[in-house]
Amino acid sequence: MPPQSRRRRQVIQDDEEDEDIQQPGSQSPADDGYGDSDERMRGSEPRDETSQLTKNLVRYALACEYSRTPIRRDGIKDKVLGAHGREFKKVFAGAQKQLRATFGMEMVELPTKDRSLLTTEQKRKAAARSQSQKEPTSNSYVLVSVLPAVYTAPAIKTPSKVQSADGEAAYIALYTIIIAIITLSGGELSDPRLRRHLTRLNAAENMPSMNPNDETSPSEKTELVLQRMIKQGYLVKVTEARSGGDEDSTIWHVGPRGKVEVDKEALAAFVRTIYGGSNEELESRLQASLNIKARNVPGVPEPVGEEAEEAPPRGDPGPSTRRRGRRRQADVEDEDSE
Amino acid sequence: MDDEWEPPLPAGYGDANRAFIQAFMARGALTFREAQELLAAIKTAAASAAASAEEGGGGEDSPGNNPRSPVRPQSITPAEVDNAMRVAREAVEPLDYDIRNARDQLRAGERVWAFINAHSDPATQLGTARSPEEVAYVKRLLDAMFETYNTPRMEVMAVDEGQALRVSRPAGARRESAMHSGNGENEDENGEDGGATQSAAASRGLKHSEVLSLLSSLVAEGWLDKSRDGFYSLTARSLMELWGWLMATYNDADADAPEWQRIKFCEACKEIVTSGQRCNNPDCVIRLHDICEEAFWRARAEKTCPKCSTAWEGTHFVGERAATSRSGFQRGRGRRGRRSEAAAVEEAEEGAEESEDGE
Repeated sequence: MPPQSRRRRQVIQDDEEDEDIQQPGSQSPADDGYGDSDERMRGSEPRDETSQLTKNLVRYALACEYSRTPIRRDGIKDKVLGAHGREFKKVFAGAQKQLRATFGMEMVELPTKDRSLLTTEQKRKAAARSQSQKEPTSNSYVLVSVLPAVYTAPAIKTPSKVQSADGEAAYIALYTIIIAIITLSGGELSDPRLRRHLTRLNAAENMPSMNPNDETSPSEKTELVLQRMIKQGYLVKVTEARSGGDEDSTIWHVGPRGKVEVDKEALAAFVRTIYGGSNEELESRLQASLNIKARNVPGVPEPVGEEAEEAPPRGDPGPSTRRRGRRRQADVEDEDSE
Repeated sequence: MDDEWEPPLPAGYGDANRAFIQAFMARGALTFREAQELLAAIKTAAASAAASAEEGGGGEDSPGNNPRSPVRPQSITPAEVDNAMRVAREAVEPLDYDIRNARDQLRAGERVWAFINAHSDPATQLGTARSPEEVAYVKRLLDAMFETYNTPRMEVMAVDEGQALRVSRPAGARRESAMHSGNGENEDENGEDGGATQSAAASRGLKHSEVLSLLSSLVAEGWLDKSRDGFYSLTARSLMELWGWLMATYNDADADAPEWQRIKFCEACKEIVTSGQRCNNPDCVIRLHDICEEAFWRARAEKTCPKCSTAWEGTHFVGERAATSRSGFQRGRGRRGRRSEAAAVEEAEEGAEESEDGE
């Protein structure tokens, strides 16, 4: 083997430790990068440390959203701030400005979980956390778009290509439907009822996988997809043990990311689309169910908006994804940095 | 940084530019035509936003409600596309992202732009949404493309499915099956590497079904191209994104100019060649893209290699044709299908390696 191969091995070894999924943002001083640009970047601008940290936080936020990982305050301290832990406020504010100005996005804090919805394990964690920090905040953020709604047209905002655009579209469609059903059922839904709805969507057993073009696994078990939705914070599943020998009861709720990304307005728009337009009756029912502000009803009921007729039909993996065009305003989160 | 600090932005930067960047990031790469469609949609949206602002607000609640006269994608000029890219690039450059463009070697030189991370390697790029096992596999796959199946005699720089499956596990685990691959030394090095630096999880490797899923997903994400003959190669986007890493990993910067390097550049456009033509003289390192050929020869009196003056016949290839143009490949394909393709390349490789030793 020529010498370059040995040289190469060293390069690989150096960056082998960087395989953390949040790596793109982790430019902590201890991080031994191999690139020249890294060295230059860190070395020559010590006077402007804050702006360096701000940049790293922006990159970290974008990287987290790539895998739908919440941006956690602990993660920021760990991966971005390092020894500069005290500058959190300043750096965070700077990063917010930068995100809004450059990308039209911002970090939104996730709502804290309702205590009654916590599983035992989560309760334990929450208890441990509350000892160190008194404030009842989640300290977790997600990126959402703050652009005017006109820019959410499907021709502009396509589903992110992470894993595959078709899979992403199907996934968004499914969690949007489930969140809509749960919310319109009063914020909670029993497991049997969720299953019944899924059956009607032909999704009781299987759902499209994140890459429906994949011949080896075009679909996934519904259970796995639901697990992913729970893990990523779209749904919360609470199982309560019943006394007296009854079966355990399982209730589904909307998770913190679900609440932020698929907000009331997005749900209303989704319902209007399904009903093929809006009219006064639908609007008043939406207002009652979702507690949203009144909306002017155009004289002629017409397909509302952004997605109605425009959703491209290609690649529809199943009946449940018919409304793939549905894009909630907050969905930039999956459009990462690369 | 005080409260008055404002992020630096290009002049006139607004929501339309932000929408462009968001859309670009979701797609990762844009061809010229895709950029036209996107810019047309944004223009349409911006016009309706301006119109509803004039009407006294309320526009936000009825997105796309007035598609008055949608801007036609064909009306977007190359200059407009270039300008949008330039502004976007200016905006993201301070954050260590970049927008680069190249012509696609495989698609008639279509221009393609990629939104890239300025310090980039497979772990950060392909790894963000992937498991450590998958990232480790991608590295082995790149090694296969740029080392195992990229020799001075056979610059395939692509792998077929059988070859992609062969690296599903790290070298240590697959040494037995690799015994007769004619690449002993390389395998050993891989072995050490795997043992010393990869985590236990990563060294487990992937199941064949997992490899196939990963490959399919990498194709869907726009990192890999899959050819009609079933070869996987890097897309223009990957080449832009991984340019620096590939150079540092597979080429020797200290080597003398005439030495054969794993990654070579087009004599005409100076971009990486992973699919193109090579000089008929097997020791010459001159390479040329198919898409650059015509203009290149038009500017020259004779169709001979600019370096060694060998007649340029365009019958020697870089890329999958280095394998598929061989008679052994054609025969093997007819008889036994995919499995033997790998074997045919392997045999040819062995032959090449031997003759190299002899030189």
